[in-house]
Formats: sequence, C-alpha cells, structure tokens
Amino acid sequence: MLQYLIIQLDDTSTSYCHYENGKMERRLMALEDLKAGILFAMKENLMIQFVYPDYVLPQEYKDAINSIDHNDIVSSSCEDMSLREKADVVVFNSWASVEQNGFQDATVCVLRTTKADLLDKYLLLKPVLSTVTRLNVVITDVDTFTGQDFEDYKKVLASLSEEVEKLYIESKSPQLNQLTDRMLLDKMNNCNAGWENITLAPDGKFYVCPAFYLAGDDEDFGLGKAKYSIGDLQNGLDVKNPQLYKLEFAPLCRKCDAYQCKRCVWLNRKTTYEVNTPSHEQCVVAHLERNASRDLLNNIRKHGTFFPQREEIKEITYLDPFDIKEQ
Amino acid sequence: MQKRLFYKNPPLLLLFIKMMEKLPIKSSDNVWKAGNAKEITFIVTKDCQLACKYCYLVGKNTKERMSWDVAKKTIDYILDKEEEFREESVVWDFIGGEPFLEIELIDKICDYIKIEMFRKNHHWFNSYRFSFATNGINYHDVKVQNFIKKNRSHLSIGITIDGTELLHDMNRIYKNSCKGSYKDVVKNIPLWLSQFPEGATKVTIASDNIPYITESVLHLYSLGIHDVNINCVFENVWKEGDDILLENELIKLADEIIEHKLYEENNCSFFWEELGKPMDRVKDNMNWCGAGKMLSIDAAGNFYPCTRFAQYSLREKKAWIIGNIHDGIDKNKTRPFLTLDRCTQSNAECIDCEVASGCAWCQGENYDAADTPTAYQRATAICKMHKARVRANNYYWNKLYRKLELEGIAKEEAEKHVKMSNHEIC
Repeated sequence: MLQYLIIQLDDTSTSYCHYENGKMERRLMALEDLKAGILFAMKENLMIQFVYPDYVLPQEYKDAINSIDHNDIVSSSCEDMSLREKADVVVFNSWASVEQNGFQDATVCVLRTTKADLLDKYLLLKPVLSTVTRLNVVITDVDTFTGQDFEDYKKVLASLSEEVEKLYIESKSPQLNQLTDRMLLDKMNNCNAGWENITLAPDGKFYVCPAFYLAGDDEDFGLGKAKYSIGDLQNGLDVKNPQLYKLEFAPLCRKCDAYQCKRCVWLNRKTTYEVNTPSHEQCVVAHLERNASRDLLNNIRKHGTFFPQREEIKEITYLDPFDIKEQ
Repeated sequence: MQKRLFYKNPPLLLLFIKMMEKLPIKSSDNVWKAGNAKEITFIVTKDCQLACKYCYLVGKNTKERMSWDVAKKTIDYILDKEEEFREESVVWDFIGGEPFLEIELIDKICDYIKIEMFRKNHHWFNSYRFSFATNGINYHDVKVQNFIKKNRSHLSIGITIDGTELLHDMNRIYKNSCKGSYKDVVKNIPLWLSQFPEGATKVTIASDNIPYITESVLHLYSLGIHDVNINCVFENVWKEGDDILLENELIKLADEIIEHKLYEENNCSFFWEELGKPMDRVKDNMNWCGAGKMLSIDAAGNFYPCTRFAQYSLREKKAWIIGNIHDGIDKNKTRPFLTLDRCTQSNAECIDCEVASGCAWCQGENYDAADTPTAYQRATAICKMHKARVRANNYYWNKLYRKLELEGIAKEEAEKHVKMSNHEIC
C-alpha cells in the first residue's frame, strides 16, 4: 500500500541512495506542481519526504512545504543553513564532505560512499557512531563488488561491529544501518519503491524513485529506456505491472531473511533487467551485513539480556539465496 | 582433467571422427526428457526458403549467417567452462531460419564439438545429441544426407509438416513466389521416416486453419508420422468464436481417432490426460519453460536465454542479451529466468483457474506482449483456446475409457493400449 510520496524539488536535489545525480542545471519544480503534489499526498494520505537542492528555495516554496507535515532530506552542502540544521536526514555525498562539514550530531546522517572509499576510510566512522542519531551507509557501486571486495567488506563490518558492541555495553544505542537494523527486524524492511513509496519529479510526473527520473533520456540498460514515468499529476498514477514491485512477487526476496536489505529496484533493473530480481552482488552484500548483525547480536547478548523478544538470527550456509533457490 | 592431445594429427583426427560415428548414445531417453540436458542453440542463419504466415520470426533476413569464427568461439567458451555447465547431457540444437541452409557450417561445428569434447575428456562426451527442426525442403540434399549418416546415432531431426496439402500450403509458402511447399516436403517424408522411424512433427494452429485440423492429423498419421505435436499459437491472433470452432474440430478428431482405434499407434498432443486440472499454488508452481536454462547464440556472437529473445523473434521489445562469446554469460541476466515460477508470472485468474494444467505459455511471447520489459507478465491470449481444448480433451478421454471399458479393458490397463502423449509444447 502506498504510504510515502517523495518529492524531488529540483533536478539538482541531492541523491540519498545508490543512484548518482549528475545533473548540474537547476530545474525547480513548478510551484503549481508542488502544490498539486502536496494535495495529492493529502488526499491519498501519504507522508511526504522533500528532497532539496543545495540552493535556498524561494519563500513561496517554503510556505507550500510548511503547509503539510513532512520530512526534509538535504545535502550536507546545502546553503540553507536553517534547513540543514532542522533537516530530518542530512546526506554526505562523499568523504570529502564529511571532512568539510563533519557529521551532524543528533541527526540521521546518510553517507554515500564508493566501496573503495569505505574500505579505506571506515575507521573514521567509529567515533561518530555515538554522536549521530543514526548513520546510514550507502554504497554507491554495489554492482561492482567482486570476490575480494566481499572479503574486505566482511572485515570492515566485523571491525565496525566491535565498536557498536562496545557502545551497547556502555548502554548507548548506536544505529548503523549495516549492522543494527537486522538485529531489530523480524520481517523485511526494504525500500519498496513503486509499492509503498513513489516519487514526484520536477517535470510533474511520478516515478518509481528519483533514480528512474534522473536516468538520461537515452540511457538504456539493455531492454529499453531506463527512464520511465508511472503517471502524472493531471491523470494520476498509472503503474504498469505494479505487482512486480511488491515483495511477494520477488521470488528470491520473499523467502529471504536479510531483512535490512534495500532490495533496490533500480539496481535490480540495472543489473538483472527485472525490478523484482536482485543481482548476486546485492544479495551477497546484504547477507554479509545480515551475518555481521547475527554475530553482533550474539556478542551483545553475552553481556546480558538484549532484546529478548527477538529471536536469534539463524546461522546460514549461503550468501546468495539464488544458490539455494531449489529449496 | 587430463586432456587428449593427439587430435592435431589429421589422419588420427579422421579416424577419430569415423570412430565417433559408430558410438551409440550412452544415455537413456530419460536424460533428455527429464530436463537434465543442457540445450544449446546455434542460430546458424536467419534465412529460410519459406515465409510461413504464422512464423514468429519477424526479423528473418539473408545477411545474418553465423561465421565459423563465432561458432568456434562459442564452442570453446562452453566447453572450457565445464564447471559452469554441469548438466548430465547436452543437446546441440541448430535453428534458423532453415538450419540446413548452412549444412556445411553445421557439419564443421559438429565435428569440432566432438573432437573438443573428446580432447578435453568432457563429461558430455558421448552424452550429446544434435537436434534440428527443419522445413524438410532440402532434406534429401547430398550434404544433408552425408551429415545424417555421419552423425546418425546422435541425431534428432523433426520435419515440420502441417497436414494436408491444403492446410500446409495455406501457411507454409515460399517467400518469393507464395507457392505452397507441401509437395517439396512430403516427398522427403519417407526418407526421413526410414532414418527416424519415431520422427515427430510439430503442427502450429492459427485462426484460419482450425477447420482443417482433423483431416490434417489423420493425414500425418497416414504418412507414417505417429507423433503429432500440435499447439495453438500463443500470439493474440484469435477471433471471436475460434474457441467453439476448435472445440468442435477437436471433438471431430477425437471421434475419428477413437472410432478407427488410431490411439493404439498414434499420438496427438492435443489430447493429454493430465490436461485441464486445477494446479496447486505450492506444489505445482514450477516454471516449465526452459528459457534461461537454455542458451542461444546468434551470428553476432550474442547469447540469449532462448531463441525467442533474439531480436529477429521479437515484434515489440528489444533483444534480451545475456552475454556474448567475448565476455561470457552475465549470470545476473539469467537470474530472473532461473527464479521464475508459475504463480509469480500469472494473474489471479490463471492461478485460480480450475482447468490450469497444460495451459502453456512461451516466455518469449510473454516478454514480447508484456506492458513493461519483463518476463514476469504471462500473456493470456491463448486462454479461451485452452479452455476449448480442455472440453474436447475431456470428451476424448471419457469416450475412450468408456469404449475400452466396454471392450473389457480397465482404466488402469489403458496405458498398454493407448499411445500416450509426451506433451511436448515448445
């Protein structure tokens, strides 16, 4: 069931996920479209998440946005300081931006990083785990992981896990998506773009997520244009094959217990052609995180009772559920 | 694995090829029919002498002919990756267009396959078949015949003939003259059946040829073709009332088969005892289509999950390429096919259908007809034709079993008296 409307306010609005936003030229959503989008969300009972560009929005836009309960997603380099300070989510698009601005205390922070940078600089994350409300690490090139990368990533997770465990023992509750989400989940908690959330783009059209809007006009992963809309403000939603965005129509994922996995439909489309089928790389990364969460949970429980209502995360012998699909 | 290195010696090579001709097939039929064999299809040409009206190959042309270089690289890639191709056996399939237009290339390919399988001590050695579906026009050609003699014990060849001259020539016409091809095909049937007594043919039914089904099936039986695999086209070509026409025509066919006891020696795949039953969401959830398990290669050296995903087969969609001879198979591109199941690609009406069993689909047609570029949307254009077939099929079995019962043959014994269908669809 649709629950969220993401409004990409400008072509240059920050990415907060796996996709890149290479657009440099501003294209602010028409004010009328913004208001119509807000009205749509009100009538459909959707929570709005606004995704901001780095420049300061005109006052009439701010007024429209403030007419409804919402969440703000901004980049760490956003020039609107007051917006940045009160934002629900602050996105760091590189390690350089972390060095420049520093993580914002008591805020949900998203760090978008390449795998190479993460493997190189992950130790810098340890000190901030106790200061931010939550840290989401998003690897922007998951599709390029190879055998050695998986091994290296496993070590990174183990190292970060030690820090998280230490903080838990100190009665703190750090949140690092790669490690702590799975511990606290008992069912899938994926992105669910196209099913539970959709995106309204500056062109007044709906998209599965911002990535499907930001793809180049001629970009083609192999079976046709990567960019496609799923309706517009005038005519409403028109999602073709809507069932394929739902978990129950994803044969590999519906039986999977890597509950923290984003199950990114954009990456799915890019790597396997099908929005409901994850790549080997996405599956293995998610399972390395799942297994690291398992170890973390077991280690924390050695120090005392911890989330007793949560069942133990089972030991499994595979990293890609595709390998056991016959079962 | 120990390699056999002598093969570069030409005299020994010739001796080896001759020796291979005499080797019987090691594996039993079960290996091939139980789906334990890898099916590898060479699209050797996109040309054909015919322009059949119902042909799904919309992009046939005379230019895309496979080169030896592409064929060799394909074979090298596949046989070098033995650990990735673990199936017990292999069917090397050749398709066109008309494959026998490229008989010289095919002969060279098959020789190379045999040599390389032997040299590499490959587990497919002596557990392989070469398979062809041909229009039969140049079946008598000396090069084709020499090839058959050379590979006889490892060969499956099906000739497509639709039935009577009238029906056959309605659809299977020469591309330049629109002349029917029946006479040129039927003259080769005796030769074919002398070499392949169990030879089966595949008949395709479109809207216009429904009224000719009975006489055509009976005609094929009279030619000595005892296995007639017949199916309605999956494409959305059906007119109002076609289902009733089909039902009536199949009841007529059922009456003929039963009245003349043709069921004892012949099979028509339209009649299948397991047809038209409800299917369990869990136990009967397998995807029967082999797309993704199969591998197709075209003249450009691109790999496809099945020939139906090559561009020349597609009306609306772009080719679904899963790799090529240079970079190999991108396994991520085959995952959607290998995880497909019946219910995930079916709509609620199909899942809950009370006569679901035997209702076939073509994964390629599903993709081509889908609203988005997906293999997960089942095309349902065939629905009413399937239901008509089910009604006629029920009639057939009820009538046949009652007849056998009156003749003192119990239902449990019927199999001994009735040639059963292998339910071949694709």
